[in-house]
Amino acid sequence: MTTSLKNSKERIFIIDDDELFAECIKNSVKKVSKNLKVDIFKNAIDAMNALEAPLPSLIFLDVLLPGPDGFTFLNEISSYPDTSKIPIILVTSLRLVEFNLKLYGIRAILNKEEMKPEEVKLYVERYTNACNCSQAH
Amino acid sequence: MDLEVNGILVAAHELKAPLVLMRQLALCLDPNDPKEVEKYQKKIVSVSERTLKQVSDLAKIARLEEGLFETEPVAVRNVCDEVERELENLFLSNSKKLERAYSNRSRLVVANHDLLFSIIYNFCSNAVKYSSSESTSRLIIKDKNQSVRVLVRDYGPSLPANVYREFTSGSLRAPVDISFRPDSSGLGLFIASKFADFMHARLGAIRHRDGTSFFVDLPVSRQARLF
Repeated sequence: MTTSLKNSKERIFIIDDDELFAECIKNSVKKVSKNLKVDIFKNAIDAMNALEAPLPSLIFLDVLLPGPDGFTFLNEISSYPDTSKIPIILVTSLRLVEFNLKLYGIRAILNKEEMKPEEVKLYVERYTNACNCSQAH
Repeated sequence: MDLEVNGILVAAHELKAPLVLMRQLALCLDPNDPKEVEKYQKKIVSVSERTLKQVSDLAKIARLEEGLFETEPVAVRNVCDEVERELENLFLSNSKKLERAYSNRSRLVVANHDLLFSIIYNFCSNAVKYSSSESTSRLIIKDKNQSVRVLVRDYGPSLPANVYREFTSGSLRAPVDISFRPDSSGLGLFIASKFADFMHARLGAIRHRDGTSFFVDLPVSRQARLF
């Protein structure tokens, strides 16, 4: 399979304390492009500490996390000019209203009970420069 | 909301999490990649087995009141070995280890084998879930006055002070929200405390700056003196 990536340093963060669930998301991301660098964090603090250049192109964020929760993380990153632009996809079992979360850079909410790998792939394709060119050829 | 209804809600929430995970793992199965299928199948089996164990434990709580469990002299090291064997692969698949450290001279305790197994299994299962990557948790057995202490030490986020106080004061009357360990409702600890009460054992926890120890103190069997 031929895979290309315009920016080979492109990163995606997955912040979820459920390692297996995070691995499922990573699996879907890697289906889009194996060249994307995927970092998994089990808590918001580790993810905050890792937010340095190159910043991630996309973040999949769980809400209920050990220690500071997803909203604390959102408050933190939305307060800096550079990190506030990072698209965030919330991945949660909580019933949240997307409209109220736009201010935090939330582009979509994936409900853990209903989400499909294709939705993860869709957002990766939409918000990164990654493309799986095998289908284009 | 009364405790019973709250307990049902918490149990439902706790059992929903593995179902959500199993669904997602099943969706990851790619028929074109047999190696991946095998990897995800193993994970689905592992998650479902742990969930089944939890459902069985919940059912046992009801049976406690019916007096269907008896206490008898139980070889505590054997029970710990059984738990270690059962969870060995789970620790390995999570890049973690469980190390045994037995120093007890009293080999028999008064307990019910199945309930004791469930308590230790719960402690170890917690350790898999909450310890840091690459860490080694310890399963320790040691003598303590007229009892034997089985302790599981994990290295990860410590138990928050409020939960620690509630747990050690014996006021854990229903599953509680443990916000620092969000996918845990404390249901496992609640079940373990019920089992411990039935066996006249004492459940406890020790906070460490780099993790948590959960322990159960079991009365030594007088029959131990025969050996």
